[in-house]
Amino acid sequence: MAGIDLTATSPRTSLDVVGRSPASRRRLSRAALYVALSVIAVVMVVPFVWMVLTSLKTPADIAASPPTFLPTEWAWGNYADALAAAPFLTYARNSLVIAVSHTTINLLVASMAGYALARLRFRGSELVFLGFVAALMIPTYTKIIPEFLIVRFMPLFGGNDILGQGGTGWLDTWWALIVPGAVTPFAVFLFRQFYLDLPVELEEAARLDGVSELGIWARIMTPLVKPAFITVGLLTFESSWNNFLWPLLVTRTDSMRVIQVGLSVFRTENDTQWAFLMAGTTLATLPMVVLFLLGQKYFVRGFANAGIK
Amino acid sequence: MLMVAPAFLHALIWIGIPVIAAFVLSFTNYDVLTQPRFTGIQNYVDALTDPVFRRGMVNTLVYAFFTVPVAMGIALLIALMLDTQLRARALFRTAVFIPQVTATIAVALVWLWIYDPRNGLLNAVLGFFGIPAQNWLSSTTWAMPSVIVVGIWQGIGLKMLIYLAALQSLPKDVYEAASVDGASKTRQFFSITLPLLKPATFFVFVTSVISAFQAFDLIYILTDGGPANTTTMMTYEIYKSAFREFRVGYACAQSIILFVFLLLLTLANRRLNGGDSGRH
Repeated sequence: MAGIDLTATSPRTSLDVVGRSPASRRRLSRAALYVALSVIAVVMVVPFVWMVLTSLKTPADIAASPPTFLPTEWAWGNYADALAAAPFLTYARNSLVIAVSHTTINLLVASMAGYALARLRFRGSELVFLGFVAALMIPTYTKIIPEFLIVRFMPLFGGNDILGQGGTGWLDTWWALIVPGAVTPFAVFLFRQFYLDLPVELEEAARLDGVSELGIWARIMTPLVKPAFITVGLLTFESSWNNFLWPLLVTRTDSMRVIQVGLSVFRTENDTQWAFLMAGTTLATLPMVVLFLLGQKYFVRGFANAGIK
Repeated sequence: MLMVAPAFLHALIWIGIPVIAAFVLSFTNYDVLTQPRFTGIQNYVDALTDPVFRRGMVNTLVYAFFTVPVAMGIALLIALMLDTQLRARALFRTAVFIPQVTATIAVALVWLWIYDPRNGLLNAVLGFFGIPAQNWLSSTTWAMPSVIVVGIWQGIGLKMLIYLAALQSLPKDVYEAASVDGASKTRQFFSITLPLLKPATFFVFVTSVISAFQAFDLIYILTDGGPANTTTMMTYEIYKSAFREFRVGYACAQSIILFVFLLLLTLANRRLNGGDSGRH
């Protein structure tokens, strides 16, 4: 901040006769700042460290009271044993399939819609945009029960007749896991913001050259908003991977479970196996942490953009 | 326009129709197996007089109070600390933000283990300072604060990040002018920084309230709403009514009440924040 720079560069004045010079006072407050921030950082990170350390402890270490911080014996075998105790890899694969599908569909469909809403004037476009903004405001819990009913009574699926009776519809299928959450109004909204910022000239020149609207979107405008794609892609993948309630409601069999549901089931079925549970949790957490560290810039921009504009 | 059609149809089927259906079903008695029966506003009367749902409403408000305004204050404080020429700033920012990108289920499981009364980390650390062990999650006194701590811990990164981005985009010359005029740091904060942060505050508030009112995963793993309903939330009651008791119409009425709560809070905040300062 500017104020700090001023004191930093101003030479010592007679005002400082009291004792400490501004420079040393600044060093002191800087040290205090580092201490405060370090305490906060430790509080934020320790649960993750504890998770990983627990996943590497023997049953004897787990049962120790008070617990030791580091394992007395590093039980690397826990991971193999955890994978043998529950199909965590199947869960993770299911989560991955869903997250990749959601990301792909959302990027394609929402970017098209965002582009059309930002750039094209058509009858009712204002109304459609307002509709998406309204959809943004709807809490998950207000729509989730009817969503479940639609899935359950989906006609002609899962043994249902044309009226949706008799079977289980989309329950326990990829359809239910992928389709309802595939496109988010937030992505449409975010894409619209990004496309709005592009210059009109480009688009007009292309239109004069006879490029179709779809072509303008796909070949001219979209390459210019690559950061938007990375941002929306990362956010979609993250929320899909971390989603819990919907997959909990629509899956029954072990082979269709996603990682978050699998973890919660493992916990209720194997109440005290903390080492295995923490091994599974580590496996579920790791991809997101790695993804975040790689794409940090885009995560930050995605959230921050939405906040400032 | 054809390019909006897929997204529009998707929103219509999976958001528009469900919201209308929830509203319509909220006036019926419906158990999925038999036809819905119109019962007028009975579900709303039942929900608003049910002591457990009322408990859920109070708990939700308490949880939201601590994970929104209180957590926003802490987040702003951290953002101010980071908005300096620190060498390790990126590192700190990452540390604070990581819980935000991890699944709430994973986070809740880790904290469940930390809160474990016998072998948990928390009691061990407190024991080191001579503080007696607690049954954190099964005590009617401590369960709610324990849940709130995890809620703040997980949500603080996003709030901090938005504040930090907003702080870094503030015009520097205003502060220079204020310093020249002899305005103190505190004065500058209250008469320049805070007003300029209004749009960010509005955004953080709205998004945080929405997620606080929809806290579910934490409760599902940590307490199951207990002990003695001290941590149950509106969302948890909706889930129980619909998917454990199959009182679908009643659950829909509860979900509309939740919606109204959120709508009122958003509107009130917009009013307080002064007109359209929060418009995107």
